[in-house]
Amino acid sequence: MSAPELVGGSAADRERIAHELVTVTIDGRQVQVPKGTGLVEAAAAAGVEIPVFCYEPRVGAGIGACRMCLVEIEGMPKLQTGCTTPVTDGMVVHTAGTSEQAAAGQSATMEFLLLNHPLDCPVCDKGGECALQDLSFRYGSGKTRMTFRKRSLEKPIPISPTIALDRERCIMCFRCTRFSQEVAQDEELSAVNRGALSMIATFEDEPYRGPFSGNVTELCPVGALTSTQYRFKARPWEYEQAASVCGLCPVGCNVAVQSREGRVQRVLSRNHPEVDRGWLCDKGRFSYSHLYSEERILTPRRRGVRELEELGWEQALDELEGMIERAQGEVVLALSGSETLELAYALAKIVRQGAGSDRVVLPEQAADALDPFRVPISALAEAEEIVVFEECPVLDRAPLIELWLKQARRNGAHVTRIGPSGDIQRGRGEAALACQELAEKESALGKRLRAAERAILLWSGGGGAGGCHLAALAHALGLHEKEGSGALLLPASPNARGVAEAWAAAGDENRQPRQIGLLVVSGDEAASEPQVRQLAEHARATVALTLFAGDSGEWADLVLPATGYLERSGTMRNLEGRLQRLRGATGSPARRELSWLAELAGRLGVDLPGSEAALFTELSAKVLDGISLASLGDRAPLPPRVEAQTFEAARAESPPTLLGGPLELIRYRALFSGPEVEHVPELSFQRPAAEVEISPEDADRRGISGGNEVVVRSNGTRVTLRARINAALLPGMVRVAAEHCAELARGVEVSRP
Amino acid sequence: MAKAKHPILVLAGAEQGDLRALEDYRRAGGYASLEKARKLGPGATLEQIKQAAVRGRGGAGFQMGQKASFLPSPGQAKSPIYLVVNADESEPGAFKDREIINRVPHRLIEGIQIAALAIGAERCFVYIRGEYLSEYEVLSAALAEAEAAKLVSVPILVHRGAGAYICGEETALLESLEGKRGQPRSKPPFPALVGLYNSPTLINNVETIATVPKVIELGGEAYAKIGVKDSTGTRVFSLSGDVVRGGNYELPHGTSFRELIYDCGGGIAAGRKLKAIIPGGSSSPVLPADQVDLSMDFDSVQKAGSFLGSASVIVIDERACMVQLALRIGQFYMNESCGKCTPCREGTRWIEMILRKIEQGRASHAELDLLADVCDRVLGKCLCALGDSDAMAVASYVKHFRAEFEAHIEQGGCPYGDTSSLAGVRSPVDEIYRGRIGQEAAL
Repeated sequence: MSAPELVGGSAADRERIAHELVTVTIDGRQVQVPKGTGLVEAAAAAGVEIPVFCYEPRVGAGIGACRMCLVEIEGMPKLQTGCTTPVTDGMVVHTAGTSEQAAAGQSATMEFLLLNHPLDCPVCDKGGECALQDLSFRYGSGKTRMTFRKRSLEKPIPISPTIALDRERCIMCFRCTRFSQEVAQDEELSAVNRGALSMIATFEDEPYRGPFSGNVTELCPVGALTSTQYRFKARPWEYEQAASVCGLCPVGCNVAVQSREGRVQRVLSRNHPEVDRGWLCDKGRFSYSHLYSEERILTPRRRGVRELEELGWEQALDELEGMIERAQGEVVLALSGSETLELAYALAKIVRQGAGSDRVVLPEQAADALDPFRVPISALAEAEEIVVFEECPVLDRAPLIELWLKQARRNGAHVTRIGPSGDIQRGRGEAALACQELAEKESALGKRLRAAERAILLWSGGGGAGGCHLAALAHALGLHEKEGSGALLLPASPNARGVAEAWAAAGDENRQPRQIGLLVVSGDEAASEPQVRQLAEHARATVALTLFAGDSGEWADLVLPATGYLERSGTMRNLEGRLQRLRGATGSPARRELSWLAELAGRLGVDLPGSEAALFTELSAKVLDGISLASLGDRAPLPPRVEAQTFEAARAESPPTLLGGPLELIRYRALFSGPEVEHVPELSFQRPAAEVEISPEDADRRGISGGNEVVVRSNGTRVTLRARINAALLPGMVRVAAEHCAELARGVEVSRP
Repeated sequence: MAKAKHPILVLAGAEQGDLRALEDYRRAGGYASLEKARKLGPGATLEQIKQAAVRGRGGAGFQMGQKASFLPSPGQAKSPIYLVVNADESEPGAFKDREIINRVPHRLIEGIQIAALAIGAERCFVYIRGEYLSEYEVLSAALAEAEAAKLVSVPILVHRGAGAYICGEETALLESLEGKRGQPRSKPPFPALVGLYNSPTLINNVETIATVPKVIELGGEAYAKIGVKDSTGTRVFSLSGDVVRGGNYELPHGTSFRELIYDCGGGIAAGRKLKAIIPGGSSSPVLPADQVDLSMDFDSVQKAGSFLGSASVIVIDERACMVQLALRIGQFYMNESCGKCTPCREGTRWIEMILRKIEQGRASHAELDLLADVCDRVLGKCLCALGDSDAMAVASYVKHFRAEFEAHIEQGGCPYGDTSSLAGVRSPVDEIYRGRIGQEAAL
């Protein structure tokens, strides 16, 4: 009866238990494992396989549903499920390999699972990577005794535009529903009916709408939940696979990019246990098809009389070379935080060494002030106290962090969110103040933070300078001295810090031209920045390197086709400071940047290596202490913490007064936004609605009810949106997704039309 | 009601009429045991229950005192201790809890308060079968009256189920009570350590709890002298089927089936012959008529290859086609399988389809062997007892009445024709299954 105390418990309990070893005998093999280890894991350690379908520790403790892991345990009259049994000292186990009783149980399970399964492997996307197929071949009988008509059901059912459900194939392992209920906590998937009529369903045929829904396609051990984009595309053995990293947000989830015939066919998780634990957000998983959008720019374009005109590469490079010459050193480079270190470095070299200018526009970045407080993201799961300064929702900035926060809460952590719709409500721009107060004033939260063995601070939005404020708080709390404690900043872009490092590596002069002879905009992210757009208006000439011409096409004189992160090789530094490798998955329909940048560098007399590896070696020697690419491996390690230094934090200032209207507009970049989402029709249902979130108080005062059409206006700009009452929102604030904000200023008024 | 020579304990005082009003229950000595228990204190109260050796009346027959001793003591427990009363009486043949709630609701409430005191429970829950609406109302009214009289020191919440048989399984009941889909949990951990809301929980059947006031009144030792060894005390037997006077009869353990059926129930009408007895609700393996003199106690019935279970005795006379009976039982379990574990979800459906084919006279001898084999493949492989119940029950019909199954196969139909007392007693399974999953047994 000692087993239950092993389930759950605090991290400290688990640690204590982990140090106690027990000896178990499985199929005659003795093995020593930490007390509390599950039988399936212990068997694996002994070199014995206990096959499973429903067991998936990442969605929670074993539930013993599929009965594939039935084993005989000496002293127990009935067969037991390996997935629900923690081993105890002296336990003697016989699996199906050595026990007739267990083998009979397993063979019964196999027969029952296949009884109504359609066996349509030849037309099933899961074929070749299906647990049911694999285990049937090994443990199944090869013959059926089922003489009745099999269950037949409507199929496939699109439970969302991205996921198809085939209920005939489903073996009711409940992995997907447990993911939905326990991990993503969206409660969207559920089992309905009973017995042989049981099936997976969404509520009333509403689509499964959640930022992490795609994970169920990977969790499904059979072909019941499949990706609609990937349906009937190819077989798993036909793929080339690249071990890469997602380049859409600063988490840097490790991904396997699978391509066939030069096209990415799907993106799967590659489980870095410290970063993503094998989960991906739907943007990272499903947005790859933007690469094959008809709107993508594949050839250079020049501003013609009416619109952009295509031109050849030779001409384009002539044009660019001429633009640089005419600028006479008055060049400004605007870098996206989504570029790799290598590409940013190559561009920086051309601008600093070739064009003779050191003026740059860098993305909001994490300060190195947080390096003494570095922790792996996975430390969140073990933390006791977590404080999130959340001016921008964590979900929109770094979606996987939100899953880790949910995991932390399940493990018993206190998670306190401070922000416009937080547990502690603070207005926009007050995060630094809140940080300072927590460090200086006595509070219940402060006491808990000081008492906690493992506390983590997160900064989401509220300015890149937040790193300094957060570091001051972390220092005051002594987090640098506590293992498992730390502070992380969630920057707005995937590789902001890496891009800044690359810029620094390319030169040390500081020539700041006053005029803008040429603005070089690298990446769609920079092209969409209002600040960059303003620079473009002042520039005599502008060149943009983008995937799409949505933004740059309006003002650039020359648009050069860029490649996407799935097509690129190189490195990126994520929000923890972990340097991770991207591996170009496939040939790109656009020309690789480095190939023409090397040509341009040659014309400008700049020495630029033509490969990412050589670029990395060069910049590593300058700014990364000469670390090698090989040392990053497939699952990159976290660099060690640096020594903490005492420093004087900048005093936080009150936010500036509001102009334009009485309500403060919080303009946020929603997770499902940006060109990578806009060009994927399957994701359009996830995009932010054209609505304004308003507090109940402000809504009441204006006679607005939820669902009303309202006008949001400031300084002559009017936008019509639907009102959504958000009870968590601080009065005085309204939230609108950036794509529905148009030119609204920071102060707005909302009214019935 | 049973004859006066038998001690009446659980239903005591209700011989002449229901004891629903607090005043009436008090006049019959009600709530004196609660007072006595309060004086005894938790330890001594629990000791009395242990000495009484009361075995669970829900079906499994686990000793209540022993189950309670698995709970952490209130001082050690990290989270509150809960007492849950299982009133989800749904086993075909069982209707004793309903009688207890209807006739002596205060005895249940008093039992809850004593048990809660004994284990240091912070809160009590009664999970009552959804279809028991009037019983819910009777219990709620009694509870309100007891609360008003300040008799309830540990709060009691009465929660209505929503019509699933599986929610009578203790861990599925807990899931349902927590607001989740009613599916059993894998054990261990047992509810005594990880129960309702992950807290230590004691779960007992209505009758078990309603026995407690009498245990305290008589004293554990005296109570244990009633009945037989290892099956102490009385039992409320639900008698139904082909019998003249069906109903609930409270008798001591050790009474024979014959006494119950013939002395209490008035035997079978028109002098028809007894064919079989289902001793403890539909899930217990059937006993052939020659077992009629068997003693009704846990161990004797188990030795005869069945279970006393919930003490729900169903009498089958000679007119019944046993294949039809097995089919009807198979349909029940198929319909009530929760769908969580593979052998039960798939096996109960397959068993039903084969049974139907046999009943319709379209099966082969090989399929009769297949039926037995499928039962064997379900048995002992499932997450909870539901699949086992189906497999064991169905297998028992094949075992004891194999000739009837073979006659169906050989004659190409039911040898009883329309004369079977069970002809037409069937669940609308085909209609349900054809509509939802395009599957029917008859091809």
